[in-house]
Amino acid sequence: MKPRSRPVGTALTLALPLLFLAYFFLYPLIRILWLSLSGEGWADAFTRPRFIEAAWFTLWQATLSTIITVAAALPLTWVVSRFNFRGKALVRAFVTVPFVLPTVVVGAAFLSVFDAGLWALIAAHVFYNIAVVVRTVGGVWSRIDPAMEEAAAVLGASPIRRFRTLVFPLIRPALASASAIVFLFCFTSFGTVLVLGQGRLRTLEVEIYQQAVNFLDLPVAAALSLIQLATVTAMLVVSARTQQRASTLVLASEARLPAPRPGTQRIAMRGILLVSLGLLAIPLAGLVGASLDGNGIGWRSLVTETPAAVEPLPAIGNSVGYAMVASLIAVVVGGLAASWLSNRKGGRWFDLLLMLPLGTSAVTIGFGFLLALDRPIDLRGTAALVPLAHALVAIPFVVRATLPLLRSIKRELREAAAVLGASPSRVWREIDLPIVARALAVGAGFAAVVSLGEFGATSFVVRPASTTVPALIFRYLGRPGSSSFATAMALAVVLAVMTAIIVLVIDRVRGTETGMF
Amino acid sequence: MLVVEDVTVRFGEKAALDGASLEVGAGEVVALLGPSGSGKSTLLRAIAGLETLDAGRILFDGNDLAGVPVHERGFGLMFQSYALFPHLSVADNVAFGLRMKHAADEEVQQRVAEVLGWVGMEQFATRRVDRLSGGEQQRVALARTLAPRPPLVMLDEPVGALDRMLRERLVEDIRGLLDREGAAALYVTHDHEEAKLISDRVAVMRDGQVVQSGPYETLTAAPATPWIAEFLGVEPRT
Repeated sequence: MKPRSRPVGTALTLALPLLFLAYFFLYPLIRILWLSLSGEGWADAFTRPRFIEAAWFTLWQATLSTIITVAAALPLTWVVSRFNFRGKALVRAFVTVPFVLPTVVVGAAFLSVFDAGLWALIAAHVFYNIAVVVRTVGGVWSRIDPAMEEAAAVLGASPIRRFRTLVFPLIRPALASASAIVFLFCFTSFGTVLVLGQGRLRTLEVEIYQQAVNFLDLPVAAALSLIQLATVTAMLVVSARTQQRASTLVLASEARLPAPRPGTQRIAMRGILLVSLGLLAIPLAGLVGASLDGNGIGWRSLVTETPAAVEPLPAIGNSVGYAMVASLIAVVVGGLAASWLSNRKGGRWFDLLLMLPLGTSAVTIGFGFLLALDRPIDLRGTAALVPLAHALVAIPFVVRATLPLLRSIKRELREAAAVLGASPSRVWREIDLPIVARALAVGAGFAAVVSLGEFGATSFVVRPASTTVPALIFRYLGRPGSSSFATAMALAVVLAVMTAIIVLVIDRVRGTETGMF
Repeated sequence: MLVVEDVTVRFGEKAALDGASLEVGAGEVVALLGPSGSGKSTLLRAIAGLETLDAGRILFDGNDLAGVPVHERGFGLMFQSYALFPHLSVADNVAFGLRMKHAADEEVQQRVAEVLGWVGMEQFATRRVDRLSGGEQQRVALARTLAPRPPLVMLDEPVGALDRMLRERLVEDIRGLLDREGAAALYVTHDHEEAKLISDRVAVMRDGQVVQSGPYETLTAAPATPWIAEFLGVEPRT
């Protein structure tokens, strides 16, 4: 190979993200490991009935949630991916809404229509994760050529046999990977459990939080964090394996979908849409309704001084500010990392390292921040920890959003521009920059959504004087009185609307229909 | 006009071009015909300045092109994959080369409309390119290549990805456009019919060299070696 000119500052594009991850992610993990080795952390974690109970509960509630989610999502997936009908884009968008909602908002929404407890928790998990199944499985199902099913029908296969022998084997890999993702989300669920579990339902994640914050048993919290981390990493590896298998599947590029046939098919389709969308709408309507209870005292208390001296308006301001700082950090670090990755074929190890914060539970990240970030400067007393933690969680999203776009700038595009008379600097300005700018805008949007809703890490590092909206919602929910409840609901509505606006903007900028996982 | 003299381009150990020589006269359309891996595309890229020469030289109107960067050569190159800019509309893609030459806005608009008219894409001007069919993308890429009036147009299997019926019609269209512009052209293909249809002259390539060139009929009547005869599907000379 002839020497090709390398982009300037290649070393720097790798060094900065590496340093960031080393100091804000790996170093805190090492401190957690160190801490877990002091005291009786490990012995306790494996023997105390309380922890075994929590681990067992984490496992079975995640399994149950996943099974119900898949069962509830499949009919809707069938409708959305096998038929064309008016308003389909709207249905898709509506199904995605729960997924982008902050976990605390989902918890609040279910609290507005259900009593707290196990079934409310499971229902919230299903509500939150339906989009994962509909989008992941639907993405494959909608590309199965209808002619294949027709051929099977002509050959004498009944609808049920067609599903069992043809459709199911084709969507199985997508179904497996969607289930793995849902399971992972439910396994690491924190905000929703804290809100709907009322202290009685404890996942490992909640247990880590309680041990560290309420009981100050740090070695045990550290050991539990590492157990959680190991489990999640193992699950991610398994899920990545199934995804690799899925991608070798050869499918028709685009299937022309029919409208539903009049008769049973149309009735079934409408029934499924009505029931599914109706169920999804209940918590959302309940949330808005509850925010209006008591003659709108919830909304009024957003703008008037409350005796409790926690003002909602400053919290909204804080959240917006944190989101801006966090997305700036995430875009710089994630953007540099993505540009480094896009310029070479290898770099799997770096890609994996970048994804790790996503697999690490948010509580662990927050815990690690509190433990470790006292050197060289003590960041723990400052408000900087919140946006830094948010940025860490958001970086994987930025990388995932920008990398495909960056990789889409093929060498030939730059060559074509050069042949047409563009100098090297002009090529960068005319080709690279416009494409990258769009990618970074999308990445910044994702980072902002993550930051606005983040609760797990925030609950560790946030200071009362500069709280965020999700943390404030949680505090209001824990306070007696119907006006506190209404205020929490009103705040949840505000947060949901802010999130929805950003997601809408992202969709406009991106202009395509690809999922976010 | 274009003279390629003993050009060698190596990729590591392997020589993609191994002393290739070729001449193209003003307004002449030359088809580069050869099996895949014979160095056809590399020759185009070398002339465009996208590959550095390990030996030999390329002259255009008597001037050695060594040291002239890609963007100052002013040739047209249509990529096999079209390489349309995904973030620009059809019209902006076609206008790109003209803008690089600092043409006045009015002139750009006029020329874009004219060229899009030739390829029958005028009603697609404001469309995004990633929503176009393969045939439509091909025509936009052709329009983009021709718009800045390059004195030499190079086309790398421009109709390779399309189906047979469409191909024959497009090959004739392309020849018509080249004649209208009076541009010299190098047309890479591995399809004999296409080569015969489009060119004044065919240059047969094998293993990084031009092994014979001349009008298609001359080549089939008098292939220089048994390999060329077999490649062209005619009886070798006895």
